[in-house]
Amino acid sequence: MIPIQKVVVLGANGTMGAGSGEVFAAGGCDVVFLARTVEKAHEGLVTAQNLAKSVRIADRISLGTYDQDLEEACSKADLIFEALAEDMELKKSFFAKVDKFRRPDSIVATVSSGLSIAEMALGRSDSFRRNFLGIHLFNPPSVIVGTEVIPHKETDPQLVREIVELLERRFGRVAIVAADKPAFAGNRVGFKVLNEVAQLAEEHGVAFMDYLIGPYTGRAMPPLATIDLVGWDVHKAIVDNVYAHTNDEAHEAFRLPAYMDDLIAHGHLGNKTPQFGGFYRRVKEGGQTIQLVLDPKTGAYKDIRDDGVRKVPFVEEVRGLHHVGRYREALRRFAAATGPEAELAHKVIFGYVSYALNRVGEQEVVREARDIDRIMGFGFNWAPPTVLVDLIGLEETIRHLEKHELPVPKVLRDARPGQRLFREPYVNIGRFFAG
Amino acid sequence: MAAPVYVLGGYQTDFARNWKKENKHIVAMIREAVEGGLEATQLEPKDIQVGHVGNFAAELYAMQGHLGAFLVDVDPTFSGLPTARHEAACASGSIAILAASAEIEAGRYDLALVVGVEQMKTVDPAKGGEFLGTAAWYEKEAKGIEFPFPKLFGRLGDEYDRRYGLKDEHLAHISAVNYSNAKRNPLAQTRNWYMSEDQARCVDKFNTVIGGRIKISDCSQVTDGAVSLFLASEKAAAEYAKKRGLSLERIPRILGWGHRTAPIEFDAKIAESKNNPYVLPHTRQAILDAFRRAGIADVWGVQAIETHDCFTTSEYMAIDHFGITAPGESWKAIEDGTIEMGGRMPINPSGGLIGCGHPVGATGVRQVLDAYKQVTNQCGDYQVEGARRVATLNIGGSGTTTVSFIVGFA
Repeated sequence: MIPIQKVVVLGANGTMGAGSGEVFAAGGCDVVFLARTVEKAHEGLVTAQNLAKSVRIADRISLGTYDQDLEEACSKADLIFEALAEDMELKKSFFAKVDKFRRPDSIVATVSSGLSIAEMALGRSDSFRRNFLGIHLFNPPSVIVGTEVIPHKETDPQLVREIVELLERRFGRVAIVAADKPAFAGNRVGFKVLNEVAQLAEEHGVAFMDYLIGPYTGRAMPPLATIDLVGWDVHKAIVDNVYAHTNDEAHEAFRLPAYMDDLIAHGHLGNKTPQFGGFYRRVKEGGQTIQLVLDPKTGAYKDIRDDGVRKVPFVEEVRGLHHVGRYREALRRFAAATGPEAELAHKVIFGYVSYALNRVGEQEVVREARDIDRIMGFGFNWAPPTVLVDLIGLEETIRHLEKHELPVPKVLRDARPGQRLFREPYVNIGRFFAG
Repeated sequence: MAAPVYVLGGYQTDFARNWKKENKHIVAMIREAVEGGLEATQLEPKDIQVGHVGNFAAELYAMQGHLGAFLVDVDPTFSGLPTARHEAACASGSIAILAASAEIEAGRYDLALVVGVEQMKTVDPAKGGEFLGTAAWYEKEAKGIEFPFPKLFGRLGDEYDRRYGLKDEHLAHISAVNYSNAKRNPLAQTRNWYMSEDQARCVDKFNTVIGGRIKISDCSQVTDGAVSLFLASEKAAAEYAKKRGLSLERIPRILGWGHRTAPIEFDAKIAESKNNPYVLPHTRQAILDAFRRAGIADVWGVQAIETHDCFTTSEYMAIDHFGITAPGESWKAIEDGTIEMGGRMPINPSGGLIGCGHPVGATGVRQVLDAYKQVTNQCGDYQVEGARRVATLNIGGSGTTTVSFIVGFA
């Protein structure tokens, strides 16, 4: 692989463009931020400075436009990094131009969070196809270090290995290789859980589901609040894409709830549309900010204080155990809980364990359980699936999977009781569980 | 000659974590450090005979005192374990190690557990700055002053400037080296932060002045962290080694220690040292005591240093006080790369307080654990090749309580 010193970012004004550009500049590269106008490119620079908390990072960044600078910047670049909108035709039209201007040895990457890498490379030159891959960073890349590297069939395998190594050592990433399948690994597994919770919210309520599958189950943020942060349009694009192009054991979990479709049509996209909101909406009343919560059945919002979430005893016990650092006891208490709320929580959490680890295999999304663990831990800030298995116990986990008619992943069938599955020496597993 | 004290290992929590965000009680930090340490060393809880906790101000930050008692909560086997908590501001962790070592030297116990712990992200920076002010003479030096400690350590820089001259670019280089080293430490607080020497030299909206000549890039940051360490007598270390098929000679020791306390007021320290080539002579003496007890002639008897860089000025002071340069000439070791990884005397391969983080009461224990990891070749990407002996320097207050250890092989 050629040394990566000069990088061009296409779509540098966008969140992912500016964020990725910051990562490359912070790793010591000279980065050209390209956008439609210099003003737009400059917006990206300001974002990068804010992410780096550094004015001087601008020393490594120059600005330009597609019309004026694409040819020269691409002809000098070691890495051309595409971060345009998630629009296949737009991306392909840019790649056609890039192919004309780039050096044959330069690397071309897309930050796409789930579109087909192979399709993007269609019609491009041999050297382009050999040097093209996905490098999927998560937002914001300055904080979330999980990264997916996605080759297509013709990507040089040596390049894939070297890019992973480079991302880890020079750019501080936790990188995995994922197959070129819809939504890749992290979003495939993550959005299955998020969408399933959104489906369940219709019957059980938004605030209740966020409580029941809350941070105590091994995540930094409750699921529906996460969809609000990501944006409902992005959520829809991801689950629709997976629903349309895969057919696995959890297919129906990717069907976007009808109430979400309706509200998206009315402009409810989550935090990015504060006037409409998403699952939650903040309104100012007098000098006070009041949080409203969506009733999916009616599409109306009500004061969250009037939608009193009933406390569930086992949830409170598990949280109490996390609070004092007794994670193993906490997860065992969770697994041993009974009653309708426990059944619901088990269905989602064991569903996550099953679905995530079933994505491991030759024909699947990743090669090893470790890959899924790393991307869920460092891309989503969720407890990696094998951490849950280790804490709950292998036999107890399998018992739950069978009870809920969830396929038992091979990695669990092959494991020995008492054998630890999660083996990342520097990861504190306690960080995934909030009290 | 005192009985030897062996270091069997320990565990550091990820210093990037925010335990308040995780809604954790401080006992969770202690528990993770101890359970992690037991696993790392494969020691049994029943083998532990005494526990010492270093902590500065849990009463203020976490509304919790009596931290020694929380060791007992970690494992049912610990019920009845004798414990104590030790406080000497930012040197609390080292004081806990000294207490445990003294008991082993005296033959009271064979296997001691030491935990350093501080939870600091519970309050806003201004409140935290005020709490830290209690490590100075609060009424005289901190009351009503915003961020008193950066100002005190800024004055340490001013005193160097007055006596010998001091360029801020040298302080910026110290900052950049610590941040750079931290990038290789998977447990460092700032491992994914951006910093460069250019950035550290600038004053701008991100790198603001905190007090005097001290900017944000000169400061260690507010950190949550806990560290455990197991210390053993020769008898316990021999059993430990035998069980693992090691020779006792492969287990590192605390070869020497120094411990001195200067007048608490910064002005009093400076007045006392006015005719001394060393700005903080008691710190110099603690280092010399450690060298003497370890049987090494000077700093070149160690291969690396983990020092107290609560601010860049404290590391600047450490360079000449360790004797790497003549007094007032620390800048030479900065300019010629001596203190960098691959240099003649790498300082803070871990990233130090600026890069790895500074959970106040945990720092002294973290330094000795890092020294242990260095001399047993367990530092991975921040390993100093061939390190056989490593020195630590841990300072409480404005150069007030100083502890230095030499860890490694005779």
